[in-house]
Amino acid sequence: MISLGAYLGISFILFICGIMVMIARKNIIAILLGIELILNASALNFAAYTKFVNGNLEGHIMALFIIITAAAESAVGLGIVIRFFQLRESIHIDDASTLQN
Amino acid sequence: MFANTLFLLSAVLTLAGAVLVVYSQNLMHACIYLLASLFGVAGLYACIGADFLAATQLVVYAGGVIILMLFAIMLTGGTGNRTNKYGLEKIPAMGNKKTFMIAAFAAIVSALIVIKVTIPVFQNNKNLIVAANAPTVERIGTLLATDHILAFEISSVMLLGALIGAAVISRPRKEIHD
Repeated sequence: MISLGAYLGISFILFICGIMVMIARKNIIAILLGIELILNASALNFAAYTKFVNGNLEGHIMALFIIITAAAESAVGLGIVIRFFQLRESIHIDDASTLQN
Repeated sequence: MFANTLFLLSAVLTLAGAVLVVYSQNLMHACIYLLASLFGVAGLYACIGADFLAATQLVVYAGGVIILMLFAIMLTGGTGNRTNKYGLEKIPAMGNKKTFMIAAFAAIVSALIVIKVTIPVFQNNKNLIVAANAPTVERIGTLLATDHILAFEISSVMLLGALIGAAVISRPRKEIHD
């Protein structure tokens, strides 16, 4: 039951859910939730390949760096969201349209 | 037997959490469902013997990122201010039907690309090496301090930069009155 195919399938569904959250949601914090899902899918793939394909621990190291990057991205992204809310009184994605003009 | 049960529970938790993140209307509930999904991913790590990775996932995501997101949701009004002064919905949980159709199309295209990439994996996975589960903390520590020391240091500097950057970006700016 615990196989490479099962892990790839779970990671695949996580990735698809992340893509759908990123595109369909209109809230900036919800888009950050989708990015977290996508990063988790990639880290799960790295760990599964370490277990089932080559056996050394490089995939675990890579997944650790993905988790570190996700934490840093979340901190900076939420800082930007809070600053944007102070400026615009909204976190709707369509309000962030200054660069479109 | 125990590993299979843990794997099934973790897989169901992960997939149900991810699907509910997509379909939940309330943003706070979506954040809690994401927390459930991350717990499931930690269980999946534990099933393939990645004990240090499972612990890191629980500590960093459940203890750090989700709490940070909940605080950001509450600081930006949470789910309370749904309508603006014109009575329109201010922060809709989802887009309209057209946005959802575009999202479904993008999901299908991504699915086709990922399936195209992963077909060779299933065609030549006859000689897979399945190692026995062993504690990985010591080996990960040795690898981080020898082979990957440059990436380790760079990631520490990046975390410091992200911390200072987030504090600088989101600090309240005082306007000059007098």
